[in-house]
Amino acid sequence: MTPTMGGNVYNRRPWLSLSETRMKGSDIPSVRRRDILKVTGSVGIAATAGCLNTGGGGSKGSYKIGMVDSLSGSLSAFGQRNKRGKELALSTVNEVGVKDGELQIAVEDSQSTQEGGVSAAQKLVNQEGVPLMVGAVGSGVSVAIHESVISNSSVVQISQNSTSPNLKNYPDLLRMCPNGDTQAEALANLIAEDGHDSVAVSWINNDYGQGIMNSFKSSYEGDIAYNQSHDQGKASYSNVITSMADTDAGAWLFLTYQPEFTTMAQEIYDQGVGEQTDWYGGDSVKGPKVLEGAPEGSLEGMKVVTPSAALDQDNYKTFAENFKSEYGSEPTAWSAYTYDAIVTGALATQAAETFSGNALMDVVRDVTRPSGQKATSYKAAHDILADGGSAKDVNYEGVSGPIDLDKNGDPKAYLQIFTVEDHDYTSSGFTAA
Amino acid sequence: MSALLQYLVNGLVFSSIIVLGSIGLSLVYGIADFANFAHGDTMTVGAYGALVTFGLLGGVGGSILGLPVAFYVALVVGMIVAAIAAVLTHYLVYKPLDVDSIGLLITSIGVAFVYRALLQGYFGADYQNYDITRSGPIPAIESALGVSLTVRGATIVVLAGILVLGLHVLLQKTTLGRKMRATADNPDLARVSGIRTARVVVAMWAIGAGLAGAGGVFLGLYSQIDPRIGFDLLLVVFAAVILGGIGSVYGAMLGGFLIGMIHELTPLLGDVGLPIPNTYAPAVAFLVMVAILLIRPSGIAGGEPT
Repeated sequence: MTPTMGGNVYNRRPWLSLSETRMKGSDIPSVRRRDILKVTGSVGIAATAGCLNTGGGGSKGSYKIGMVDSLSGSLSAFGQRNKRGKELALSTVNEVGVKDGELQIAVEDSQSTQEGGVSAAQKLVNQEGVPLMVGAVGSGVSVAIHESVISNSSVVQISQNSTSPNLKNYPDLLRMCPNGDTQAEALANLIAEDGHDSVAVSWINNDYGQGIMNSFKSSYEGDIAYNQSHDQGKASYSNVITSMADTDAGAWLFLTYQPEFTTMAQEIYDQGVGEQTDWYGGDSVKGPKVLEGAPEGSLEGMKVVTPSAALDQDNYKTFAENFKSEYGSEPTAWSAYTYDAIVTGALATQAAETFSGNALMDVVRDVTRPSGQKATSYKAAHDILADGGSAKDVNYEGVSGPIDLDKNGDPKAYLQIFTVEDHDYTSSGFTAA
Repeated sequence: MSALLQYLVNGLVFSSIIVLGSIGLSLVYGIADFANFAHGDTMTVGAYGALVTFGLLGGVGGSILGLPVAFYVALVVGMIVAAIAAVLTHYLVYKPLDVDSIGLLITSIGVAFVYRALLQGYFGADYQNYDITRSGPIPAIESALGVSLTVRGATIVVLAGILVLGLHVLLQKTTLGRKMRATADNPDLARVSGIRTARVVVAMWAIGAGLAGAGGVFLGLYSQIDPRIGFDLLLVVFAAVILGGIGSVYGAMLGGFLIGMIHELTPLLGDVGLPIPNTYAPAVAFLVMVAILLIRPSGIAGGEPT
């Protein structure tokens, strides 16, 4: 069925396809050009309309910070948990208060993509006018936001969940979860200790995957028989699986996200090629949805290294109890990072002279560093500051760990190793870095 | 050798899904005359329609071809849900709008957002699965040919084949099919000859969206369902349609098959000295598309009346 130049069923001007334009020559180019101008023009107006409304930071006595979260897309499992961490943090902070008022958080969805994240951050910074922004989950998204929105403003950015080693190249891009380098080292050691001298690695084609793969490559001494990236959000990775099975590597390492890994696990099972190999994974391939989606037994023995909260500390236990009574499930380390990101933001607001990006940046690292007096809750830290203490007098110890933001904006790391037994994750020890 | 066969089998299953998506997109272009960006999300609508139905029916009944009977019921319901969604959209949005084809194109992007937002609002953003136990490779095929093909993979290929054949019969042998072809070729002439083109358009939306819905259900069966599955596939589907010759249904079938195959066969280039990472599989598919368009500017089957 070919489109024709005559009227169409909606009785309107036909939209010319590329091929038709070629065939019909240049007798009607003006229509086309005008249409395109019309479209691009209106899109342009829509895009700039948002910039005109540069509102302030909310009403008097309230301090509005922003948050870019993965409410949809590949990382939405993290976003859901983050939301809970955020809500808990907000109620903890507002029970005590910030300065003379309360904390407000404007949340925008990054859709787990760089474009989505950048436009979410633009909205927060340009429209909401927030001086501090928590965001984002994906490392690529965090970096994209930092480069295109944050770096030429004074806004403070604290990533809640990004683990890519690349982020240490952006010292002003702070984060609450440890650098993935430590994870890659732990994985390299683990694979070597298990006696594998050859490994096939499939990593996701973004900053997270690339960063963690580079560190893995420099820490692993054996042979990397398969070293290729795959794209996010594909319906099928069967060609990746077939290629991996084509190598003789005894260990398969997956540095990717949950939906992608679930698809791979299903396809490995479908192709029946996984049983001769031991599987390893980075932090973001572990989750209940993976267990649900992967065929029963297919993951048996898989080892996953994840950053871990300070599970043995009292403040974590309190946090976990509150989380459980509120939401009926155990918190993830990721929700603990989000919690700490919000609390750290609130403490910086309390410590800063003015509620502006520059003033916040001056104090945000100090409230977490070991120079000051230890405080394991928002209230304790807030009280030190409210009694006239400076940012250097406080050392906030978070529910996720000691934090101690260094000059690269990275915290100290705790890692936990999980093994899949009977289609469930069982802790098989901790490793520190 | 077994790797080559395995890639071919992977490609066959993947192509089947793309073909189902491509046909509907091409039908809409041929008859309603605009590029429908909501087509990917129509696939998603079908996938969720089937998910709900399958959840309600559970494992009722026996099994056909190794899959529960309830799945086939769910597939039909998914197709119907997608068709209803598209027909409703036609009446509520496209028909009352007095805009040209570019206006419709932009509108369809908005429609896509609405579909996706509704699905996400109701079902959440997390991915889900049809509750059908995975069986692993079919042993007979694995021992005979050394390739793994799953029951669900085989079912997808067979059912897609039946649907494509059914559409072919419909277009060539029935009055409705003749009317559709006439409307696509020249709407004015069709109207003058007494064809009620408004009805043909409704039929076209129902058929195109129904096939897209089937594609969505298969996509969900193949891996998993989330509100973005259809949209994420749309670019590849567009490539398939353009490669085949936009507006041509048979071109779309061929284009969908080729794009899916090239996509899955990319790792083989490594064996002939062109080690191209899997990430670039879509890029390779698109390069081939451009190369073919350079030789045949209107696509493989473009310009030939169907």
